[in-house]
Amino acid sequence: MSDFNISELKVLVVDDYEPMLLILKRVLRALGIRDIKESHSGEHALKTLETNEIDIIFTDNLMEPMGGIDLVRNIRSGEHGTDPFASIIMVSGELGMDKIVEARDAGINEFLAKPISAKLLYKRICSIIENPRPFIRTESYFGPDRRRRQLEFMGEDKRQIAYDYSKGM
Amino acid sequence: MSDEDVQVIKPPNTLSAKVSKGGPGAVDLEAIERAEAVIAGMADNYLEWVEEDLVKLQKSYDGLIGDRDNAKERMETIFGIAHDMKGQGGSFNYDLMTILGNDLCRFIEDKETASDVDVEVIGLYVSAMKVVIAQRMEGDGGAAGTEVLNGLAAVVEKLTR
Repeated sequence: MSDFNISELKVLVVDDYEPMLLILKRVLRALGIRDIKESHSGEHALKTLETNEIDIIFTDNLMEPMGGIDLVRNIRSGEHGTDPFASIIMVSGELGMDKIVEARDAGINEFLAKPISAKLLYKRICSIIENPRPFIRTESYFGPDRRRRQLEFMGEDKRQIAYDYSKGM
Repeated sequence: MSDEDVQVIKPPNTLSAKVSKGGPGAVDLEAIERAEAVIAGMADNYLEWVEEDLVKLQKSYDGLIGDRDNAKERMETIFGIAHDMKGQGGSFNYDLMTILGNDLCRFIEDKETASDVDVEVIGLYVSAMKVVIAQRMEGDGGAAGTEVLNGLAAVVEKLTR
């Protein structure tokens, strides 16, 4: 794993279970991150994102009334004044393949299984930093490219660069 | 736009501008060990939280027994509590809590109603989780832990057969 200094990152932790919120905050602080905001619900998270610049969002899935999947969809929609390109790590104990695929299809960047460890948490952060993925927009999906590896195409790649934001707004 | 139409967008890489490599404050192996120690240092907090969760779990279970007409809602409450307990047990070396919490969630998750057997099985899981904490069965719980898991599995299989 790379030895990044991540102290300048601004993060938001979303979990309706207070102890997990506390654990995540303390681990992130131990890794050097100082600007940590917290939300106890998806609704509050959206409000926080409207008024704060956040680099990485850590969100639980099973929350009421707005669950993590809906939160991710809302963020990606950009309809709430949120950055649709924000990096999102889902931290969840729902580990069935259907739940993980659902989270991926909602547009998460990374998935971290509970119970968490500091090592795996940092590994997910590293993955986002080291492997920034382009975003894909289709009629049914908007989010990071779900293909981890670029597979060789036998035919013409239909995907077109819509706008290269890396060249400036 | 149809699914055939695919746009590739390269968003600005804002993270790379805020992150540096190496130097003071970088996350090296020692920093990760310190962060793991932070979790381990919360073990006493964990025992307080889990005791509170066990009280909530027992109350919710009692609620299910007394209100079978609303079993689905009652079980959803139990599911939520067990799910949270499952999510943190392993972080504090209480792997059995994660295993039992997961098994309880899997048992409940698709149920619309609760039969007598269902209620009994849920009660067994609640009791087993209490035993794990009362006896401080860390890790796999050794021989006692194996006994709890195997004994529970055998009874559940017999009841649900």
